[in-house]
Amino acid sequence: MPSPSLPLPPAVAEAVWRGDALGRGTDTVWPSGFDALDAELPGGGWPGRQLTELLLPQFSLAEWRLAGPALRRVVADGAAVALVGPPKRPHLPGLMHLGLDERHLVWIDARTPSERLWCAEQLIKSNAAGAVLAWMPQAAPEQLRRLQVLAQSFEGPVFLFRPLAARHDPSPAPLRLQATIDVDWALDVQILKRKGPAHETPLRLASIPGGLERVLTPRVMRPSTMRPVAPVPAAPREAVPAALPAALPGALSESSRAPQPLALFPESPDVVGRADPAASSASAVR
Amino acid sequence: MLWVALILPPRLPAPSADPAAPPDHPWGICPETQAGLAVWCLQFTPRVALMEDAVVMEVEASLRLFRGLGALKARIADEAPDLGAAGIGWAPTATAALVLARCGVPDLGGRLLQAVLDPLPLQALSAGAGHAEPLSRAGINTLGQLRALPRGGISRRFGAALLAMLDQAYGLRPEAHRWETLPEDFHARIELPGRVDHAPALLLGARPLLMRLCGWLAARHAGATGVTLHWVHDSMRAKDAGDGGSLTIRTAEPIRALEHFCRLMAEHLAKTRLLAPVGELRLEAIGVQALTEDSASLLPDTVRTGETLYLTLERIAARFGPERVLQPAPGDDHRLEWMTRWQPATEGRSTGRRRAAARAAPSMPEPGFLLEPPLRLALREHRPHYQGALTLLLGPDRVEGGWWDRLPARAPAHEASDTGAGARDKSAPAFTALVPHDDAATVTAGHRNVVRDYWIAVNDNAGVVVIFRQPLDDGGSAWFLHGVYA
Repeated sequence: MPSPSLPLPPAVAEAVWRGDALGRGTDTVWPSGFDALDAELPGGGWPGRQLTELLLPQFSLAEWRLAGPALRRVVADGAAVALVGPPKRPHLPGLMHLGLDERHLVWIDARTPSERLWCAEQLIKSNAAGAVLAWMPQAAPEQLRRLQVLAQSFEGPVFLFRPLAARHDPSPAPLRLQATIDVDWALDVQILKRKGPAHETPLRLASIPGGLERVLTPRVMRPSTMRPVAPVPAAPREAVPAALPAALPGALSESSRAPQPLALFPESPDVVGRADPAASSASAVR
Repeated sequence: MLWVALILPPRLPAPSADPAAPPDHPWGICPETQAGLAVWCLQFTPRVALMEDAVVMEVEASLRLFRGLGALKARIADEAPDLGAAGIGWAPTATAALVLARCGVPDLGGRLLQAVLDPLPLQALSAGAGHAEPLSRAGINTLGQLRALPRGGISRRFGAALLAMLDQAYGLRPEAHRWETLPEDFHARIELPGRVDHAPALLLGARPLLMRLCGWLAARHAGATGVTLHWVHDSMRAKDAGDGGSLTIRTAEPIRALEHFCRLMAEHLAKTRLLAPVGELRLEAIGVQALTEDSASLLPDTVRTGETLYLTLERIAARFGPERVLQPAPGDDHRLEWMTRWQPATEGRSTGRRRAAARAAPSMPEPGFLLEPPLRLALREHRPHYQGALTLLLGPDRVEGGWWDRLPARAPAHEASDTGAGARDKSAPAFTALVPHDDAATVTAGHRNVVRDYWIAVNDNAGVVVIFRQPLDDGGSAWFLHGVYA
């Protein structure tokens, strides 16, 4: 500790890292697109030259919502994004909302864990893609350590998606996050490991995927109030949308035997939350 | 003048060859190896000549291009032994370089040529080797001792040729060479030292051929878009094994990177099974075209280090198969699964390069992942369930049409429907990743017409999903999960 009578020269003070401050990131970072998350990440964004592990309760849940906003800058630099073994077929129009396009996207259909590791290793070693997104349902710590060593020569970010069960396994990745979704258009993110002090309070990041923000009406901004099973006591202003789904089973009880799903969801905006005529006309274009 | 001499070892006589037959080369070396080495040498300089049992080349003018004397020496010392060179010598004259290579002296080491040559034995000079015996009886064993004798006497007793070669070695008389020219087509052949019955081991024999190919391409300032490796089974093969086989490797863009060819070849050979032991290899280049080379820059550039993405993808495709390394192409369609066509990334690259700027993002929300085929959802209390009850948020969006999108297998209209489906099933597995799945109803109908009402739904476990309701043949309807806003 420097004594107050002897302040450190500014050049030295800048170079000293204190235990309660965030560690310095790598030389290049990619802003994550979430200001609250950037403030908690060392260096202020997703780091290059190292692995970043994102743990999800299941795959194809929130990968693009979490890692996608950073890819816009990767693609803007003219580099390609390589997907290794995504759990489902990627849909290009949806990814175009993230700034990706057909010239900067490669899907490698790796299936077995060893194929995924080999593929990720080749891509990281060649340093040819701008970002690598790899889905790793199974990976041993020593295999990840090999990737981490190789990633030091890879300039872009490397995202490894792993199941939430892997959070108790040791991992060589310097940055690990766990993400769950909230139906009210948000992600709950907790940083499990980073260079710096432990992260305690989970972050809540507002995130509307795939261009939905253009068509969402104020009513469907709170899907948690629209659940059919557990009617929540809502504020008077929201009483109408919240109450209607609760009233629905009663209204249907007479015809519940008849297989008439059409009658279940009448074209009434109140039930399904499509009150905005602009939204409905926009939807009809498709 | 800076000469390099690469000498070749004498070829071992084949056990089946007739010992009385005249050798196919006066120096007892393999003429094909010598010619191959000369082709490889032509990438460094056009002044390459065959000399006795060696290949000599003059590289003084090429030093700057190959990053200086040290780097060029290291490269030649590294690569030439793979092509069969047994000794390397560097000297100011070709004859002296040859003498040094035979005596195992790599270079002058900062001394004068005369001081280095004088203590070397007489036999190292080919003209002196024939007269070594009478000279050694007279006490003349080294080049220096020979040079000290009266020139008139040497010329009278041993002929003018000895004196002429001695002078050429010491740089006192000019040398005349017949320069090698680059062949127009590349064909290389190598006889394997032993019989190989394991395909990956062929790489050991193919590597010198690939090195010769890369040298030939470098000398022509060209690249190749593929190579074909032929192998010839030896005569002890089984009757049904045939004469041999071949393997063709293609690349997306013309290259002449040796390591990339070797890695591609290794991946392909790992999947090859030989029918019989192989005794001989041949290599051909395919699609040779001029290659624009990167100019070396004085200033550090911001180019990415490492190889290009396409080389990496080709290597991955070589192991997994091209249908599993995919790039998207937008399709003009409104049905979700046909909005994008995924095609092998290692094909059709030129069209992608010429395409205009990327399209703007669509104005409509689209999911990030699609399920193929769509997953039929269970109904509970007439509500679709997927990992819990789904709350419908937005919809319906009617998507219909597709009657124009006929299945290719159904093109002959009179063909029976079951055979059409069978034919399609046979071709389907290879392309499951390329085209969306066609279910049985689609195959029966013969076209991909859809009538779907899309909704955006959400629940806690599955996140935001796209589901649709589709009328069924029996009059009812069913819900399907089709995409995830991941």
